[in-house]
Formats: sequence, structure tokens, C-alpha cells
Amino acid sequence: MVVDDHPMWRDGVARDLAEAGYEVVAAVGEGAQALRVAAAVRPEIVVLDLQLPDLSGVEVARGLAAADPPPRVLVLSASGEQDDVLEAVKAGAAGYLLKSASKEDFLEAVRRTAEGDAVFTPGLAGLVLGEYRRLAAQPAPAQGPSLTERETEVLRLVAKGLSYKQIAERLVLSHRTVQNHVQNTLNKLQLHNRVELVRYAIEQGLDES
Amino acid sequence: MVTAVEGSFWRTVAVFRAASLAYALVVFLRAGGYADPAVGWLVLGVMALWTVATVFAYSIEEFRGRPLLAADMLVTVGCLLATPAVQGGYQEDSLPITATWMGGAVLAWGVYGGRRAGAVAAAIVSLADLWTRGAGGMEFEKLPINGTVLLFLAGVLVGHVARLARKAEARMQEAIELEAAGRERERLARGIHDSVLQVLALVQRRGQEVGGEAAELGRLAGEQEAALRELVSLRPGTPAEGSADLRVLLQRYGSGSVTVSVPGTPLTLPAAVAAELAAAVGAALDNVARHCGERAPAWVFAESDDGIVTVTVRDEGPGIPEGRLEQAAATGRLGMAQSIRGRVEDLGGTVTVVSAPGRGTEIEMSVPQPC
Repeated sequence: MVVDDHPMWRDGVARDLAEAGYEVVAAVGEGAQALRVAAAVRPEIVVLDLQLPDLSGVEVARGLAAADPPPRVLVLSASGEQDDVLEAVKAGAAGYLLKSASKEDFLEAVRRTAEGDAVFTPGLAGLVLGEYRRLAAQPAPAQGPSLTERETEVLRLVAKGLSYKQIAERLVLSHRTVQNHVQNTLNKLQLHNRVELVRYAIEQGLDES
Repeated sequence: MVTAVEGSFWRTVAVFRAASLAYALVVFLRAGGYADPAVGWLVLGVMALWTVATVFAYSIEEFRGRPLLAADMLVTVGCLLATPAVQGGYQEDSLPITATWMGGAVLAWGVYGGRRAGAVAAAIVSLADLWTRGAGGMEFEKLPINGTVLLFLAGVLVGHVARLARKAEARMQEAIELEAAGRERERLARGIHDSVLQVLALVQRRGQEVGGEAAELGRLAGEQEAALRELVSLRPGTPAEGSADLRVLLQRYGSGSVTVSVPGTPLTLPAAVAAELAAAVGAALDNVARHCGERAPAWVFAESDDGIVTVTVRDEGPGIPEGRLEQAAATGRLGMAQSIRGRVEDLGGTVTVVSAPGRGTEIEMSVPQPC
């Protein structure tokens, strides 16, 4: 399923996916519509633009993550929307790709998303690392998630643009281990986000309703 | 500029005049018409007519002005000076025939001209008032100055407040205009984001796929997209005076071949330090372009940890052969890496260069972040 408010983009992405052998079950341009349609067609993968006319892409990502089973969300965003990207990823999106990425990179990202891997661009690694450090710097007792030294090391290398293969060579690890480290950093952050939401709900007394 | 607040000041003066007229009438009747009721009624009639005339005249913006204010003062002083003719000689503690009505002209001057005009009007009316007392035969030492003081206070205060209100309203108007401009800019930015930027990104992508000359067009479209996005960026909250967000400076280097990774929170540095560091990054990227080719991929990664901001510039070029940097320094030539080192060390930072033949080069620049 493709969610993008720009018709040319939507059609282009849908065409690329169809040519690559994917079945595009829906292509919509609005957030609320996306959530309704997703509930009906149950896509496996959602390619999501963060700039939508009605709901924010973050809200859509959150709504999609609440489905059972949740679709895997690949955020396709224009540059300069870091905050939204981070929020969408924390809400459960599996990866993030710039709109300026090439068709090959895009299809590769979709393939990896379909396999359940995180699509970690250098940009996303920078954001995730920054988020961990922001959490660590908070004066409140350190209940937030933290990275192991190895995970920090791997994230920094991803942020510097090294491929998993290059990282594996440099750190003398297997490709799979590098991938696991990256996946872990994301999982911890998403888990933390869910815990935070629940805590917030309890504090606000929303659990009673 | 006519302001809404000014109109309400004039209405207040009008209310004051009408109420004072009624008060003057009551005082006149209670005193049993004084010594000469006929002249008294005549003066009160003039006051009533003038009240109606001024309420009307001051409500129209074109009429407000020096001639009207002068006429106002003349009529007021005229009525006031008629007091001895009505009251016939000195009457202890009595108000003049105009009672508080004479304050109307003082208020009008104050509202129109501010504090000073209010004070001048108060002086004129007070002098006339005191003269009538003198004419009534009162001794200089016994002249009541209560009225004078009140007139001065009223004139100066109203003048001051009117001016303040006018200024406040002008400021407010300015703020409203600024906000409207900001909103318009936001609307434009959204429009550009939804249309132009998307098309540019699309051209870039399709161009890459088609290849050849189209790829070059695509690359240009991508650069324009990045530049335009920077221009219309809706990033809220500019950093405090004198400091800058390093992320904003670094993101300008982003292009088809240069990937910029930054955290989601601002990297705040003193403006000069941020500019110098960004310039050092620019120099490093120039170096990459020179040694590894114009389109060679490069990565810029900025992070902040424990009060230290670190920017890494990485390329996958041929790398720098071992000993090459030392050799350059020894022969007195300052390599590019050395000049970057100089810049960053001037900021109290450190530079680490990691390079091996065939494995690219990493230049890591760290500067302390002031709290």
C-alpha cells in the first residue's frame, strides 16, 4: 500500500513496486483514508510519506502500528523532516528512506522491510543515536533505554555511511550480528516509546476509561 | 492613522462633558440661580449647545484638530469668565458656573496632544478660574488651588495615557502584520513543499534512472530541491541570539553525493564556533571533491555527547598513504587536513584523521559545547 498526497509520486512509487513484482493493494493520498483502507485491505507493507494533508504521517504510523497484525511501515520522506521521521520510527515504522533515493535503493529498502529488517540509512542512525543521547542526558532517573558500547559503535558507523558489510569487516563481526545490533537499537526505542505512552496514559487516568 | 482606542477616548470625553453639564445644572439650581439667574441660564445654554457641538465634532476624525481645540478652549474660558457676572462677587467655596465642565477642554487637549498639551490647557483654564476668583475679590493667599491641581493632574494623566494607548495599539498593529506575514510565508512554504519540491525530487529520481544527460538534470533538480527546502524550511524556534544550530549549517552541504546525518535535537554552539566548524567541514568536503572526484560520495555525521560536538567527514576515496601528512608538515607545506586542524584547534577542539590506502578517509572534528 502506498500513502502519498502527491499523485505523481504515488503513481510512480506504485508503478515501481508493481514492476518489481509487488502487488499494490491500495494507493491513497490522505492519512485518515489510509487508516480506513489499511484496516480493510490489510497490507503487509505500507510505504508512507510523512507530509499528508489531514493527519500527520506520525499519527498514521501510530495508527498503523495499532493494527493486528501491524503492517511494516517504510517511511519515505523528503529531507529536513528529522523530528517527524524520529517520531514515526519510534511509533513503529521499520525504516526511513529519502525521497531522493534511487529506484534501486528504494526497491532494496522495500525488500528488506518485507523481510522484517530495519532500513537504517545514515540519516536515521544519526537520529536514533541522538535520541538515545537525549534520553541519557535527561535529569530524570535513568529508566530510559541505553545502548551498549557495541551498539553505539555500530550506529556511529552506520551514520558515517558505512554499509553493514563494511562495518562487519571493520569490527570483525558477521553481517547478521551487525544487522541484529542495528535492529536492537530500534526495538529498544520503540519499546521505550510504548512504555512511555502507557505510563502517560496511567498518569492521566486514561486506563480507567 | 486612526486607532480604535483613540475613538473610545473621545467618546469618554463626550460622556464627561454631558455628565459635567448635568452637574453644573444641579449646582446652579441648588444655589438658587445665584445672583443673576438670567445670565446664568444664558451661560448654561451656551454650555449645552457647545456640549452637543463638541460631542458631534470630536466624533468625526476630520474635525479633530487645532481649530476645534482652540474654539473649545475659547468657549470654555468664555463661560468660565462669565462666572462673576452670574454669581455676583465672591462666594465662599463655590464652584464657578461651569463647575467641572471646564475640564472637558483640558481632557480634549490631552487626548489630542498628549501630556504637554494637557498641561498647557490645564494652565489656561486654571488661570481663567483663578482670575474669576480674583475678580470676585478674594485675597491672593486664599485662592483655592484644589481645582488647579486637579485640572493639571487630569490633563497630564489623560494625555499620557492616550499617548501610551496609541503607541500600544500601533505596536499591536505591527505585531498583527508580522504574524500575517509569517502565516503567509508558512502557507507558501506548505504550497511549495506539496508541489515544487515533490516534482524536483521526482525529476531527480527519474533522472537517475534514465541516466546520461537526464541524470545530470536530475542531480541539478536534487540540488535545487535541497536549496529550496532550506529556504522555506518551517523549522520553528530560532536559537538564542549569538548562538547557532550546527545542524542547519551542515544540512546545506547535503546533495546527491553528500549525505548529512544529524540528531533530532539542535546542536547549539556559539554562532562563530558553529560557522567556523561548518567552514572546516566545507573545506574537508572540498578536499574530498578534489582528491576523489566531483561526485564521490561523502558522509557528514554530527553528534553531541557529554558536552562535545563531533562532526565526522568520511569518504571512500583512495585514502591518505601513511606518513603523508607528517611528510607534508615536515616540508613546511600545510596540507588541507592541517589547515582544518588549525581551524578546529583554534576553537579549542581536536581533529583526528583516520585513513588507510583503499579504505577512504575519516576526519573527525570535536569541539566542546558550552553549557
